[in-house]
Amino acid sequence: MNEQINLPVRKLSRDVIKVWLISESIENGIGFIMLGSLLYLDYLFSWKEWIGWILLGITVLGVGGSLWSFIRPFILYKNWRYDVDEEFLQFKSGVVKQVYQLVPMTKIQSVAMEQGPILRKYGLYSVSVETMGSSHAIPGLPEEVAIELRNQIAHYARLKEVEE
Amino acid sequence: MKATRYNPLLMVLKLWHLIRNTSVIFFYVFVVKSEYQSTLYSYLRIGLIVAFVFTVLYIILKWFTEKYQLEEEAIHLYKGVFQKSQRMIPYSKIQDITRHRSLFHRLFMVTSMKLETGIEGQDATVKFEVVSQKEAKEIERHLNIVADDEWMNKTLHFTPAKKDILKASITSFSFLVLIPIIASLYTKMDELFHVEEEAAGILKEVINYGWLVTILLLVLAIVSTIIGVMKTYIKYGNYEIFSDYERIYIKKGVIEESSFSIAKSKVQAIEINQSPVKRLFGLAEVKLTSAGSESEGDDGLAVNSLYPFLPVKRTYEMVSEILPSYEVIEEMNPLPKKSLLLRMVRPSWIWIIATGCLYYFKPTPLNIEEAWGLVSIILLGFILVTRFLGFLNTRYILNKNFIQYKKGILGTSLFISKRDKIIEVNVERNMMQQLLGLATIETINRGKPVKHRVMRDVPVEFAHQFYKWYMGRRNEIKVTLHNVS
Repeated sequence: MNEQINLPVRKLSRDVIKVWLISESIENGIGFIMLGSLLYLDYLFSWKEWIGWILLGITVLGVGGSLWSFIRPFILYKNWRYDVDEEFLQFKSGVVKQVYQLVPMTKIQSVAMEQGPILRKYGLYSVSVETMGSSHAIPGLPEEVAIELRNQIAHYARLKEVEE
Repeated sequence: MKATRYNPLLMVLKLWHLIRNTSVIFFYVFVVKSEYQSTLYSYLRIGLIVAFVFTVLYIILKWFTEKYQLEEEAIHLYKGVFQKSQRMIPYSKIQDITRHRSLFHRLFMVTSMKLETGIEGQDATVKFEVVSQKEAKEIERHLNIVADDEWMNKTLHFTPAKKDILKASITSFSFLVLIPIIASLYTKMDELFHVEEEAAGILKEVINYGWLVTILLLVLAIVSTIIGVMKTYIKYGNYEIFSDYERIYIKKGVIEESSFSIAKSKVQAIEINQSPVKRLFGLAEVKLTSAGSESEGDDGLAVNSLYPFLPVKRTYEMVSEILPSYEVIEEMNPLPKKSLLLRMVRPSWIWIIATGCLYYFKPTPLNIEEAWGLVSIILLGFILVTRFLGFLNTRYILNKNFIQYKKGILGTSLFISKRDKIIEVNVERNMMQQLLGLATIETINRGKPVKHRVMRDVPVEFAHQFYKWYMGRRNEIKVTLHNVS
C-alpha cells in the first residue's frame, strides 16, 4: 500500500511495550508450568511414545514462541497506527502480516474504555469499539488521550446513515 | 390505534400444536399400556392430564395478556402473564417481512407473519403466529407495503413456466426420489419377510423374462419422474417475483404458501450462486441478503432466494430489473499469474498433518506396502487441483460504487454489494504476498450471520484502489443524528 491515501499515523503509548512484555511473561510462565507438569506426568507414568513426541514438539514451539514474544512487542509497537477523523476509524498493524482496517464512524455502535491491572500500573487504557459486524481495540493509550479519543468517537458516531 | 389482542385462532393453533406434540405419549400411556395398573402408571396418567390442563390454561391466559399496538412510527408489543414487558419497535428498523400460510392458516383464511429487525438476540423477530388477512394488511400498510389487491404498480418479473419446472426437477435430481424410498422399503420388508432369500428365487425366474424386467424398470422410472416433477411443482410451482417502486416481493408454494418482502434499500448484497449441476445446465440462483432473515430457511430453502433455477443470462437481467440501482458486469478481472504461483506454494496444513499421520501409522490397506506415500501424493494432487480451479474461477471488479467478486471450485458464487452497504473493509498482506505484490481484501456486510467476504491474492494495486474506493463512500451517504450508547 503506498502513501497516496492517508494512512493512519497516531501511535500507542510507548509504555505499552512493557505492558505486553509483562503479560506475555505471565502467559508464558503459566504455559511452561503446565507443559512442565505434563512432561513430568509423562515421565512418571510412561505414557505412549507418540504423546512424548507431541510434548517435545510443543516444547520446541513453546520455547521458540516465548523468544519471539519478547521481540514481538517492540515490532508491534513500532508498527501499530490508528487514526480517527469525522468519517473513519483506521487501524494499521503488523510487519510480517500487515493488516489495514477501515471502519466508518456511522457504523460504530458503542465505544468503551477498559483497564486491566497491568495497564493500570502504567496509567494506560485500552479503547474498544463495537460495530454491527466486528469489534476492535486500541490497546494502550495514556489516560487523557484515551478519554479524548473516546469522546471524539462517541461524538462522530452519533451520526447514523439514512437508508433511502 | 389502541392495543389489541392477537387473533383468538392463535389459541386454536397452539392447542392444535399441543395435541400434535403430546398425542404420541398420550396414546402410549392410555392405549398401548392401558392394562398397566401399577401406581407408577396411574400417577403418570394423572400427571399428564394435569400438565395438559395447565398448558391449556396457560395458552388462554397468555392470549389474554399479550397485545400489540400499531402506532404511527412504531409497533408496541405487550406480553407477560406474571412479569409484564413492553417492547417498541420502530418501523424503520424492520428489515424484511415473511408471511407463511400452512394448511391450518389456509383452512381458517388467516396467515402468519414475521417482521425481522436485524438486531442481535432472540428479540430480533416480531412474530404474529395467527393474524387475519385484514390485520396483516393493516400491519403492512404501516410498513408502506402495497396490499395484494393493489397490484397497479407492481411488475411481475418471473413465474416459472412448465419447462422451468421440468428443468428444476432435473437439476435437483428430484426424479431420483423413489430410489431411497424403494431402498428403505426393501430393507424393512427384508427384516420382516427375508425377501432376499425368496427374491433370489423369484429373481431367477424374472431374469428369464427379460422384457418383464425392462417394463418394470420403465414403469418405476416413469412413476419416479412424475413424483419428482410433482414434488418440484409443489415446492417451486407458484413462484412469483414482483417488485414495485420501493419493494421486492417473492411468493411461492402450492400447498403451503409463503411470501417474502424486502425494501430495495434494505438489500445488503446480492449473491448469484451456481452449484456444479446448475453450472452444467446453465442455471443459477439469486439470493438477496437481508440484515434480518437468516439466509437459510427452515427446510433448507431460503425465503430470500429469487427462483433458484434461473437461466444465468436471466439472473443478470433480473437483478437490474428488480434493483435498478444495481448493475452486474459480466466481464471481470482474473487474478494475475503470480497469485497462482502463491496459491500453489502456500503450505497446506491439511496435507502436512495428514502426511505426518500417514507416515507415523503407515496403514497398509489392500496389502500395499507404500500406501501412505501414495495416499499422500493423491491428496496433494487433489489439493493442488482444487487450488488451480479456485484460481481459474476467481474474478473481481470495482465498478463505480459496486464491488463484485466471484469465487468457487466446481460451483461458483458471485457476490455483489454497494459501497454504502459495506460496513467495514480490511486489507491484509502476509510475507509472501508482500514479496509478490499481492494482498487479501475483505468486506463485511450486515446479514444473519454477518457476512465476511474474503478475496485472496489480488494485486496490491487493486487492494490500494479498493481501500481508496471505500473511503469514497463519504460522498454518497446521508446521515442523521442518533445517540450512541
